[in-house]
Amino acid sequence: MQHRIDTILMLAVVSVLAASMVNLYGVSAAVGSGLLMRQVVWCVIGLSLLWACSFIRATYWEKAAPKIYALCLIALVAVLVFGQVRGGTRGWFVLGPISIQPSEFARLGTMLMVAAFLGKREDGQLHLGGFLVVSTIVAIPVGLILLEPDLGVALTYGPVLLIGWWLGGLRPRVWVVLGLLGVITAGVAWATVLKPYQKERVLTVLDADRDPYGAGYQVRQSRIAVGSGGLSGEGIGRGSQSVLRFLPAQHTDFAFASWAEATGFIGASALLVAFSVILLRLGVLTERTGQRFDLGFATIVFAWLAFQIIVNLGMVLGWLPTAGITLPLFSYGGSSVISTCATLGIVQSIWRHRFVNQ
Amino acid sequence: MRIHTDPILFRQRSRMVLVLVLGVIGLLHFKLFHLQIIQGQTWSRMATNNRLRKIPVPAPRGRIFDRQGVVLADNVPAWQLLVFPDEAEELEHTIAFLTGQGIIEGGDLRQKFSERRIGTMAPLVVAENISWEHVARVRAHQSDFPELSVVNGYRRSYPQSAGTAHVVGYLRRLTEGEVERYDNSQPDQLIGATGIERLGEEFIRGKNGERRVVVSAVGRQLGMVEEEQSIPGDDLAVTIDTRIQQAAVEALGKNAGAVVVLDIHTGAVRALYSSPSFDPNLFSSPLSPKEWSKISDDPQHPLQNRCLQGTYPPGSTIKPFLALAGLQEDLVNPQWSVYCRGSVTLYGHTFRCWRRGGHGRVDMKRALEVSCDVYFYLLGQKLGIERMAPWLERFGFGRPTGLGPAHEASGLIGTPEWSRRVRGTPWYAGESVSVSIGQGPVLVTAIQMARAFALLANGGYLVQPYLIPPATPLEREFVPLDPSSLEVVIAGLKRVVVGSEGTARSLRGLSVAGKTGTAQVARLPSEGSNTERAHHLQHHAWFIGWGPVDDPEVAVAVLVEHGGGGGSVAAPAAAVVFRAALRSGPNLGEGK
Repeated sequence: MQHRIDTILMLAVVSVLAASMVNLYGVSAAVGSGLLMRQVVWCVIGLSLLWACSFIRATYWEKAAPKIYALCLIALVAVLVFGQVRGGTRGWFVLGPISIQPSEFARLGTMLMVAAFLGKREDGQLHLGGFLVVSTIVAIPVGLILLEPDLGVALTYGPVLLIGWWLGGLRPRVWVVLGLLGVITAGVAWATVLKPYQKERVLTVLDADRDPYGAGYQVRQSRIAVGSGGLSGEGIGRGSQSVLRFLPAQHTDFAFASWAEATGFIGASALLVAFSVILLRLGVLTERTGQRFDLGFATIVFAWLAFQIIVNLGMVLGWLPTAGITLPLFSYGGSSVISTCATLGIVQSIWRHRFVNQ
Repeated sequence: MRIHTDPILFRQRSRMVLVLVLGVIGLLHFKLFHLQIIQGQTWSRMATNNRLRKIPVPAPRGRIFDRQGVVLADNVPAWQLLVFPDEAEELEHTIAFLTGQGIIEGGDLRQKFSERRIGTMAPLVVAENISWEHVARVRAHQSDFPELSVVNGYRRSYPQSAGTAHVVGYLRRLTEGEVERYDNSQPDQLIGATGIERLGEEFIRGKNGERRVVVSAVGRQLGMVEEEQSIPGDDLAVTIDTRIQQAAVEALGKNAGAVVVLDIHTGAVRALYSSPSFDPNLFSSPLSPKEWSKISDDPQHPLQNRCLQGTYPPGSTIKPFLALAGLQEDLVNPQWSVYCRGSVTLYGHTFRCWRRGGHGRVDMKRALEVSCDVYFYLLGQKLGIERMAPWLERFGFGRPTGLGPAHEASGLIGTPEWSRRVRGTPWYAGESVSVSIGQGPVLVTAIQMARAFALLANGGYLVQPYLIPPATPLEREFVPLDPSSLEVVIAGLKRVVVGSEGTARSLRGLSVAGKTGTAQVARLPSEGSNTERAHHLQHHAWFIGWGPVDDPEVAVAVLVEHGGGGGSVAAPAAAVVFRAALRSGPNLGEGK
């Protein structure tokens, strides 16, 4: 039998999307009004897709996971060959007015694949074989994305990998070893791979006033925007940091800052609450479903969304380095909105079909 | 078919993640609260600072006029290029852009940036008086360099250029300490460095205003919030007479030297010209190192104000004062005479008269007319340095006159006490004999000389020279002199011009009395005439006098460095100045 979708989750999603459009309207003076119209179109497509996905039985998603995953990998390879370069990253298919970023969609395939793999396993612990499989499932798309290269999107695959290990049941001592390896890798990366500007971004977090007009400029302007919002904000389209363009990337990475400037603590809290509701409903879902795949997928989605929300807000509020991670459903961007909606569509499908076979 | 498995382990693990995540979101929410509610005011102020930019509105300095209303210092509108260093993303890019466009030289700007005070938001002036073409180029790239801003300003302009450079002065940048001290001043503000620009600083400096404008992140000015108007400085009329000043320029021509013209009654400076001069307009905008070294490395030292800072042996121009001293001390009377054979031997040393053949019998008037050295050697011997020195001090030598536009030299009156203290050697009696013809350890400035001759002309008043008319007449020192003594000396000085043997007969036709002087720079063993000496060893030529003779108004001191003879070089130069000074008509009298 079929059930209704999770209306609370749906309400929260629609609220965030609506707020994103209000915010785009507010900053249109600075970023142009064309973006708002496009975002409206992306939202309509996204919500339709969400709706459509929710009708497909959850078991289908589990079965189709390998095919979807393979399709995503093909797209990631294809974009390296046929893709268009933007800002030094070869990551977009351009078809007339539409541009698609496969790396955003491939995450859904990866999440499905990890959940499907974990769902099949009876074992309570993740041994070497399983560990390698989970790691490989994530590593292949990440490797392809790093070839584009797009560090920001690649980073969003991180929580998928970690939660895969976690749910699979990696033994504590392996976590310790991995933790140590992670520290060593970070140290080596600091010394060799990271570019000076990236290091500056990290150092700026440790010392906010380190370089207020260089690497720290964006974060400083973001904190000014957020802080000056006060309790009730400057009003939509009236925040000086946004309108006068002191705030960088105010419709994408720093969209939350312009929202917080315009609507103040009240509006920013409301948005935070909406995100918390989305995460909570994912949590409720894990409590209600009995299927390993369902539970696994919901947790992975939860971890990924939580990661992006925390990292983005951490950056906007000055706790984390700027790393090009957007706020899901709120930052401008068609591929991001549509792929997130599709992901939540599958979550809704799990919700609808959670009592099947029980 | 799905395999039904117990997901308890899964669920436990997923719950842990859930709790962790919600905890972190709670922390973020607290951070949001902290930023917006607790620190909201602070950040709001920073947002205001972000979009409001303070732009200084420089107050134009007061103009400087001469006594007839001729402009000596003016303000002309000029474009100024400001940079707000705190707004720049990468100052090196800005420097590269500005140097690439040929607007500035990179080194200067880097220096300025390194000296700037951080966090004041105050702009730096990187270029002044930039061309319209450069303005257009900056504006075309405004969005790339929001830290740049072109504003209307003023540039100080000196229409008389080199002619009044030393007396009117020029401007310099405030030092860092002064920026702190002066109200509302900007780091790049100019203040008077020398001359009237410095003397009248308090009067002619206005009060800077400030404009607060809203700017976008790319530096576009979107509108003004408020403006504090600048208050222009007051105009200043000074004692200089440009016609006389120009005559002084003409009189010295290419020679190095000094001309000082004083009103003998009040001390008002009618002309003050030091040659070689320089273009003070160069200092109105930042001087390039090349231009600066061209001026500062010039062997002729054009920046030196020879009227006040140049010290020279007075030569024969000291004689009238020693004659007066002799009369006042009752050592000689006007009729006392000596027989000049061209030289005299005193203290075992032969002292030569400038005229090898001698002057024959000379009394005081004739001694002044023909400038007989032997007469004054013998008079000097009678006076001795212990009586000469106090009299020279009374006539204003050995101390600055206090005119004030620049550091002023004291000159020197050598005394036995001075000799012990400074030279570490005893005073030789023969030195008193040298001093009596203005050689040896006695040095004067041109302005001291002009003032001393003014004293002769005005009946014994030592005036206080001034450039800016004072509200109340300045104190004059009175030197009590026997009128009959003064009369004898004046009669002698009249004969310098009108006498048949006068050393300044070239001035005949002008109503002038005065004294020539030919001051030796170095005593040469050879008897060669002055013209054969190397230029830097040639004599300094003096003429100092006053006119008109019957109703004296102005005193003129002319010094030509290494010019040669006082009668042959300085007197003709003085004639040029006197012609202008005497034609300038009656004393207009400041403050009347």
